[in-house]
Amino acid sequence: MKTFNLPDLGEGLQEAEIVTWHVKQGDTVKVDQPLLSVETAKAVVDVPSPYAGRIAKLYWKDGDIVPTHAALVDFDIGDGASAAPAATPVPKAQAPKAPAVVTEEPIAEDSGTVVGKMATSSTLVEETAIIRKRSVKGTGKPKAAPAVRAYAKGLGVDLTRLTGTGKNDLITRSDVDRAASSPGAIAGSKDRRGEARPPSVKPSAPLAPIAYGEMVPLKGPRRAMQSAMSKTRSEVAECTIFDDADVHGWTPGNDITARIVRSIVAGVRAEPGFNAWYDGEKVARQIHERIDLAMAVDTPEGLIVPVMRDVGSKDLAQLRADLNVVKEKTHARTVSPEDMRNPTITLSNFGMMAGRYATPVVVPPQVAIVGTGGVRHDVVPVLGGVEVHKRIPLSLTFDHRCLTGGEACRFLAAMIKDLQKAQ
Amino acid sequence: MAKVALVEAITMAMAYEMAHDDSVVVLGEDVGKNGGVFRATLGLQERFGAERVIDTPLAEALIAGISIGMAAMGLKPIAEIQFSGFIYPCVDEIINHAGRLRSRTRGRLSVPMVLRAPSGGGIHAPEHHSESNEALFAHMPGIRVVMPSSPQRAYGLLLAAIRDPDPVIFLEPTRLYRLNKQEVADDGTALPLDTCFVLREGTDVTLVTWGAMVVESMAAAELLEKDGVSVEVIDLATVSPIDEQTILESVEKTGRCVIVQEAPITGGVGSEVAALIAEKALYSLEAPIVRVAGWDTPMPLFKLEHDYMPSIARVSAGITAVMEG
Repeated sequence: MKTFNLPDLGEGLQEAEIVTWHVKQGDTVKVDQPLLSVETAKAVVDVPSPYAGRIAKLYWKDGDIVPTHAALVDFDIGDGASAAPAATPVPKAQAPKAPAVVTEEPIAEDSGTVVGKMATSSTLVEETAIIRKRSVKGTGKPKAAPAVRAYAKGLGVDLTRLTGTGKNDLITRSDVDRAASSPGAIAGSKDRRGEARPPSVKPSAPLAPIAYGEMVPLKGPRRAMQSAMSKTRSEVAECTIFDDADVHGWTPGNDITARIVRSIVAGVRAEPGFNAWYDGEKVARQIHERIDLAMAVDTPEGLIVPVMRDVGSKDLAQLRADLNVVKEKTHARTVSPEDMRNPTITLSNFGMMAGRYATPVVVPPQVAIVGTGGVRHDVVPVLGGVEVHKRIPLSLTFDHRCLTGGEACRFLAAMIKDLQKAQ
Repeated sequence: MAKVALVEAITMAMAYEMAHDDSVVVLGEDVGKNGGVFRATLGLQERFGAERVIDTPLAEALIAGISIGMAAMGLKPIAEIQFSGFIYPCVDEIINHAGRLRSRTRGRLSVPMVLRAPSGGGIHAPEHHSESNEALFAHMPGIRVVMPSSPQRAYGLLLAAIRDPDPVIFLEPTRLYRLNKQEVADDGTALPLDTCFVLREGTDVTLVTWGAMVVESMAAAELLEKDGVSVEVIDLATVSPIDEQTILESVEKTGRCVIVQEAPITGGVGSEVAALIAEKALYSLEAPIVRVAGWDTPMPLFKLEHDYMPSIARVSAGITAVMEG
């Protein structure tokens, strides 16, 4: 016969209330089989059986308050030989198996932690974790002190093209100086490591003999430009006017360049004399119905001026398509002489780089050129107050021999009016 | 092969070593009957008995002190601290004794103990349940600091830590405990304690990180791959001592480095990595090193913890900055 006393339920409580018995007198039980549920101040917990055997006596009934360590159950365990290791039976408070009575706060499933929220998933990690083999070979990349790197960057010297003369092939300040002053003499004799100097101090490396640039004749587009420009300066009576288009009212998604092209069409509709060729010798002009707009495009080789044909008959989407063709052709360097022949008016859109207004140069026999700077935010007076609006700066140069200032102002006004439309 | 979560890999490693080495014991608060606050020691007491899996009183200094004594006398204790914020009472024992006994006794005694603790935030826990204090121990001589970032590395590195003759602080990223799973061969193979792990090869920038930040770092690297930036991600793994060579060779290759740590930025392990690169790979750097880290504040309560911990966006911004620099 063994007597089992109510164990300390681990919370220092003096007593517990029996919620329900799971066994009755005469039952045969196994070790760890739940005997009864008791309620402490915090939770309902199951008390497992410490012994295997037959229940001889229950000392209490449901609802009784039992003092800790009071006798609870008598077990008949035969001769006592089959007594299970009755160390200290501990109630399974942490994970009660199907508590007989639902507590006020149902005990959640074990989430693997007692505080916080543990993110859990069965997602498989896909990774390769490499333990690197030891290598002794170098990377072949240039080695240089940060100050030398900054110095080289300032002088436009590409370190990858230098051979370092310092310790362990380190690129020194002298190496950079040499490369900067005479590109032919990159590799030199062994030198000490370039000592750090404040950037304001002039490098004291021996100065190479001054090498002035070589005289090289202009070629290609650059040569064409000089001939056109010289002709202009000797012939045309240029006059330029400036203004801005306020595009604050634009709906989103407007194509700036296409809108500018369309506004030139509007200008020409208002003043057809700007879409013309002028012959100074004959003192005669041809006004054209069709607008063939030359687009000045900047390339590394020089100025290229492909022509967009009949822009007056096209909507914004078609203009964009034409602009893309121009862009691609210039980029791919496939602009043919035919593509540049006989424009009737020119646009120089330099806005994406810098510059606000300009005095672009009319190329005869054309009589007008429009220059547009970048769209920018300007402070503008509005109804006695101040607002910030987006504006496009406009410059119009025209040949005053055959066009009047009044006509130019009306042309520009028509452009602005069209540009300021919402779309 | 078993597909297991990081915390299960920890259990597997301890069980393997306990089964193969009688000197291995586990101790800590609730590690026995309860199976540990995060269930890392689940089932160990049932399997190896209460003599080898010991429930201690709620006293961290005692856990560390007892472990040092056990270790010095020939056992291999694995002690668990419930949260890294509760590790501070152990600091005296660990620094003054665990880390110095070998030196103090001129090699007559060593302390082959492991002090395991969950580390880092991201599980919505209260204060001092979420801190990243690896730098405290990384600073002290005589102690190894290891932080795994995948189930495989958790298994292999913990085995190595148990077998190592010196004290190892083994900080387990809490957020990764059950975040995902990996196939882990329970064959008792340890990983080296002196190497980084290259998780992603790249050519433009080296990203060094460890612990749970591996997740954000890999995601940011993936994201920037689309912008044409090739990021090499290195899991430091052995926070102290640091595998210098893997890092230096990578930085010499890429010329750029971003360091991502969850811990506060000042005086962190990231500062040590940055100093290492400045000392030994400066001439390969094409841009200043960038550290992305937690802020110099206590880990905030859980509503703000995601503002504290480096996000994918912050890591990406760090990479972008070092590419532009």
